[in-house]
Amino acid sequence: MSTLTRRSVIRSSLGLAAAGAVARPFVANAAAKTAEVWWVQGFVKEEDSAFKKMVDDYEKASGNKIDHSLTPYAALRQKEISAMQAGVVPDMMEVADFWLAPLQSWDDRLLDVSDVVEPVKDQFVKTALPCCYYYNNVTKRRAYYLAPMKIAAVPFHIWKSLVEKGGQKISDLPNTWDAFMDFFKPVQDGLRKQGMRNVYAMGYQITANGVDPINTFNAWMIAYGGQGLVTPDGRLHTDDPKVKEACVKALVNLATPFKDGYVPPGCVNWNDADDNNAFHSKLMVMDFDGTISTEVALLSMGRKDDFDDVLTHGLPLSNDGKELPSQVALFGPVIPKGAKNVDVAKEFMKYMIQPKVLNEYLKGGLGRWALPIPEMVKSDPFWLSDDPHRKAYVEQSVIKPTIPIYEAYNPAVAQVGAEHVFMTAVFDFLNNGVAAEPAIDKAFKRAEEIFAKYPIQQA
Amino acid sequence: MTSASAIELGRPPVQRQSLWRYWRGGLQGSEFTWAIAFVVPYIAVFLAFVIYPAAYGLWMGSNPSLYSEVFSDPIYLNTVVNTLIFLAFGVNVKLFLALLLSGFFMRPGWWTKVLLLIFVLPWAVPALPTFISIHWMLNGEWGLVNNALWILFGVDGPSWLNSRWLALGSAIFSHVWKWTPFWTVILLAGRMSIPQEIYDAAKVDGATGLRRFLYVTFPLLANLYLVLTLLATIFLLGDFNSVYFVTGGGPANSTHLLATLGVVRDMLELGKPQLGVAAVMSALPLLIPLVIILMRKLRTAEVQL
Repeated sequence: MSTLTRRSVIRSSLGLAAAGAVARPFVANAAAKTAEVWWVQGFVKEEDSAFKKMVDDYEKASGNKIDHSLTPYAALRQKEISAMQAGVVPDMMEVADFWLAPLQSWDDRLLDVSDVVEPVKDQFVKTALPCCYYYNNVTKRRAYYLAPMKIAAVPFHIWKSLVEKGGQKISDLPNTWDAFMDFFKPVQDGLRKQGMRNVYAMGYQITANGVDPINTFNAWMIAYGGQGLVTPDGRLHTDDPKVKEACVKALVNLATPFKDGYVPPGCVNWNDADDNNAFHSKLMVMDFDGTISTEVALLSMGRKDDFDDVLTHGLPLSNDGKELPSQVALFGPVIPKGAKNVDVAKEFMKYMIQPKVLNEYLKGGLGRWALPIPEMVKSDPFWLSDDPHRKAYVEQSVIKPTIPIYEAYNPAVAQVGAEHVFMTAVFDFLNNGVAAEPAIDKAFKRAEEIFAKYPIQQA
Repeated sequence: MTSASAIELGRPPVQRQSLWRYWRGGLQGSEFTWAIAFVVPYIAVFLAFVIYPAAYGLWMGSNPSLYSEVFSDPIYLNTVVNTLIFLAFGVNVKLFLALLLSGFFMRPGWWTKVLLLIFVLPWAVPALPTFISIHWMLNGEWGLVNNALWILFGVDGPSWLNSRWLALGSAIFSHVWKWTPFWTVILLAGRMSIPQEIYDAAKVDGATGLRRFLYVTFPLLANLYLVLTLLATIFLLGDFNSVYFVTGGGPANSTHLLATLGVVRDMLELGKPQLGVAAVMSALPLLIPLVIILMRKLRTAEVQL
């Protein structure tokens, strides 16, 4: 038996190091057909199963390997930002918020995937496609940086049983904006008379946290005619009196029910999931929240009766009876610059956005995300016939009029959103005694300052 | 050749040998090689996980234009004020309570030991679920606190997280509740290290109760208390959890601290890590003097009764 000496230890260590160096090229060769993919963990386990199945199918079909990880979206966002800062990036990563893709495209940190999207783009919802088509401040032009996979709009979620218990009939629900909102007030009054002291009529988010309050303010602003706040050329129109009037009306009409006690006071400081939790606990009659994750979660928890008790409702008409466009966002994967296996990543991306593959994937996830391909939505009964929640949601996000989120037009909107400029105005009005118009003026001034940092060269 | 010049000639080799011996720490031959082998991993870890990240952070925040962007942020000034308030109340309330409680836990008896065990629980449980639970407990409509107020007294409690001052106060309270046990245990250890003979002598001189605390205990703990205050200030400047999970920086971004503004808003939401680092580094003018004072106090700590 040999004796362990200092020299033998050093000799062995050097030998191991040398063996590692020799072995490394072999590993690199093996990795050439492997793509590292970071994906958002679903709200329900079925979403994750559907993704894994799609990966398995691709691996079998291509012979390539997808080394994937599933991470909750907030944590994934942190991971993605850190990775891009450090320059150690995966080959593909899913984007599940409004801000990362436009801001990173602006900074030229994402790979142009126009060659992947262009051949199939005609099949997708045209009004939503700008959500993948961002401005690059280095190349001074727009390009596709995100592959469209999941479309999301913001519907209303209503407890039918609470409406009835509050003395109203769900069939009497009006279909114009203000009347629709006012409908829930007597419901709350009726419930309070029955001793339900903590149930509120409406549960929209007017916090300065996450994307929900941005969706809320924009929907109200558009309902009052402020759609032109940001135009497709990326310009801000705070000088448009119509836009200003709409913003003031949105502020007042979001804040007044709050002041009158029809919205839970805590909603000014809710976190992203607080409204979902409160709605699931039947603490508010109506919620305005993106996707049908609320309903899908009930189904996944085995609460079928509650699932059937929820009414999913698209946007009502404007007060003058016109159809209102829903703001939609498209989510999907991007390829960060510095990715090592771009070929495999692009091939997988092409595979995923094939209509048939994408349809199966989204159906597997219980339809929480709608399929952004109108023709396939119309031809597959899963989307428009099998379930009333899904039908309402898909009609709102795919069939009826839509516009993209404003972040698609100019990444400045991402900073306006991250700073929650408009919800700060609502808060100023509610808590700091500022009148509606000066509060909006202050918000406009800040938005203008931010937009000045993101000039977009016009073609 | 004079005798002096002979000494001069002979000195350099002697000096070189002494320096070399000093550098080797008196170790001979293979002992020195083994010492190097054991130190190298530590140095590598120190370089990789302390020096490199700190230098990288400094590099990230080195562009002066970042600071003009940070200072022009409409909520930056509020954030600095919040940070100072958080420091003033968070550190002092926590340490003063810890000083008093450490005296209480010096009392003899098994029940004080049981109480101490219960008392340290908030510190022992993980921070995240604790602060998230507090966030839920403080919910104005459905939270435990206001429901308890309603059931016990029939009154509606305030919306704890809806105004800047109540929300900031809630975050400070949560921080104090969570961290007081830790500092109490340290001060308790400090008190236990004071020799009983000193108290006996003081008793002979007629010092009891408050006089004993003022003229014996506190002077002996003063240096420790000061060092703990400096340490607590440094820790609290980097505290993220108390505000992020209790108030989320809200309402309307009015309760952010420099740490949450830099990390949550600038780094993660805006996706601008450099801007986040600059926001956090704007606390350096306060942090660096604190570290220097702390180092000096640790070197010169002595007690005068």
